[in-house]
Amino acid sequence: MAFPIESSPPPGWEREGIDGLLGSFPPGRLSEIVGPRSSGASSLLLALVARVTTSGGQVGFVDGMDALDPASADAAGVDLSALLWVKCSGRLRPALSAADLLARCPGFALVVLDLDELGPVPASAHLRLQRAVEGRDCILIVRSARHREGSPAALVVGARRVTPRWTGLRPLTRLAGMRSELAILRSRPSHAFSPAHEGRWTLDWAL
Amino acid sequence: MTRIVTRIACLITATTPASPTTPAETVEPLPATALLQVALAHSPRVEDAGAGRVYLDATGLTGLFGDEPGLAARLSEAASRAGLAVRVGIADSRIAALAAARSGPGGAIVPPGGDAFFLAAAPLSLLELSRELSPKLSDDMTARLARWGLRTLGDLTALPTAGVFERLGAEGVRLQRLARGEDGRPLVSWRPGPRFEESAEWEWGLETLEPVVASLGELAARLCAQLARRGLAADGFAWTCRLGDGRLHEGALTPAVPMSDGVAVGRLLRLAIEARPPRGVVEGLTLRARPVRPATAQESLTERSRRSPRLLDATLNRLVALVGTAAVGTPALLDSHRPDAVALEDYRPRPDILSRKGKGRAVRGPANVVPADNPVLALRRLRPPAPAAVTLASGRPVALRSARLAGRIVAGVGPWRTSGEWWGRQPWLQDEWDVELADGTLCRIAHDGSTWHLAGIYD
Repeated sequence: MAFPIESSPPPGWEREGIDGLLGSFPPGRLSEIVGPRSSGASSLLLALVARVTTSGGQVGFVDGMDALDPASADAAGVDLSALLWVKCSGRLRPALSAADLLARCPGFALVVLDLDELGPVPASAHLRLQRAVEGRDCILIVRSARHREGSPAALVVGARRVTPRWTGLRPLTRLAGMRSELAILRSRPSHAFSPAHEGRWTLDWAL
Repeated sequence: MTRIVTRIACLITATTPASPTTPAETVEPLPATALLQVALAHSPRVEDAGAGRVYLDATGLTGLFGDEPGLAARLSEAASRAGLAVRVGIADSRIAALAAARSGPGGAIVPPGGDAFFLAAAPLSLLELSRELSPKLSDDMTARLARWGLRTLGDLTALPTAGVFERLGAEGVRLQRLARGEDGRPLVSWRPGPRFEESAEWEWGLETLEPVVASLGELAARLCAQLARRGLAADGFAWTCRLGDGRLHEGALTPAVPMSDGVAVGRLLRLAIEARPPRGVVEGLTLRARPVRPATAQESLTERSRRSPRLLDATLNRLVALVGTAAVGTPALLDSHRPDAVALEDYRPRPDILSRKGKGRAVRGPANVVPADNPVLALRRLRPPAPAAVTLASGRPVALRSARLAGRIVAGVGPWRTSGEWWGRQPWLQDEWDVELADGTLCRIAHDGSTWHLAGIYD
């Protein structure tokens, strides 16, 4: 299967704020959210899960490292009752298989494969996942520490930490949140999209 | 014309003797099935009247069990052996048999043709208008009969039938006939419900799982065929493996929707038993199904086909086989301040996931409102928390070393002390710090009084 190689902004890119970004993940395609520790990538992922669950969709969340904090998810607005949580306890192969199963199962609006630093991921895994979700009305997101070369991801969003936000004068009294920068590293929409636009988001995540 | 004499016996469970004027029998909590089984052991035609009351056709039983007092005694003994205290009444009609059963500690027998005389002194409440009539009509009739000063069935039968018809209509006449013991309704036979259970036995036992799975599939196919013949489906399957050492291995499968497709059920059972296989040689296998009548719905020609609950169920079972039962489900926050107080509940998709309205929708368009106005910083938990070595300076952490993270701490806030369940068996207490490492990593570390650990990483 051939994918267009030009990198272009996705639909919704021209819209302001995270709302536009969250609406840009294409159904039926594999997308990636990448970023190192404390980059805001997981927060972005939870924002997307919250968006899907609050709009009535079901989410399959394959948790490679058992790292999901349901309390954080709840605070982010996720409807936990619409979440199917699959814990893989640091095992890569079951995580990939679980994501493949969920991507092929009708009824899920979003399937998340949260690998974080789990790996190395075989080169064929992303392709297999892309095949699994193809033609389905489902968004498939892989969240990992870094973008894998050769991945067929239609949209790759990178996250980068800018600075933490503390409250209180010396001494500091509380961690209030974190500022991070999100950028689209690659976009391969298969249909018409808006003109290229160099855009980045700077977001303040609150604790 | 020769009148066909039918004899009906009434069995009621009772704890205290009652007089004929008792408005209703004292009923114990229902041993209904046991009572029905007692009746069925004596007569092929048995009616379950509910509330611990059973009628049975006693016509022609004298050839089997002797005269009617002998039959009554035999019924009482059989019920006693089943652990039930019953009173037995025998008469030509249900209502007279009921009145006879209530007439004393052991019941009574009304001679053939003597129903009207026997019922004359019985209270009007014996008619049980609430059972015989609709609620509104029952209330009206009760009030009207009370206004007329009628107290007994004899009072009602003494009224001229034409007058009763004029004032109460056909229902009034029917009640008057009932009060005389003239009940033309036949017994509504009760039959025990079908039992959906299939078994297989192996003299030498099966040591590997594959033939057990294959046999389970065959049993499922037979059960599903039985269910389908009756227009039923099953909302639960349970299997029991009898192992060579005498132990039992049990398991259950609850499909997302009632099913009667043998192939699909066989696949689900395969996944379920493979996820938790029996440990030992299997000598016997029994599969039971819990039957339900599936709801029917009118399909629409204009909408896309329904999402397959079978696929969803198969996926869930495959996930369980892949990562284990305890690792698949819906997270539920527990009512506790203990860190990471989360339970994993069975995944029950909202009904709309299986309906047309809940098709996996693309998240797009203005209808999908984003909770993005207040983006929340997520914490990634470490499960279990990673042991850590923390260096303190002036009581504040300045360096962290653990298997996952290590580095100098450049900023930190804390300690935030949390504790709870000191009244229980598992009290907990910990001091939490939010710290920033030199490489920019934000994490939460905690000290439980003796050791430090890395609880999570903000991301």
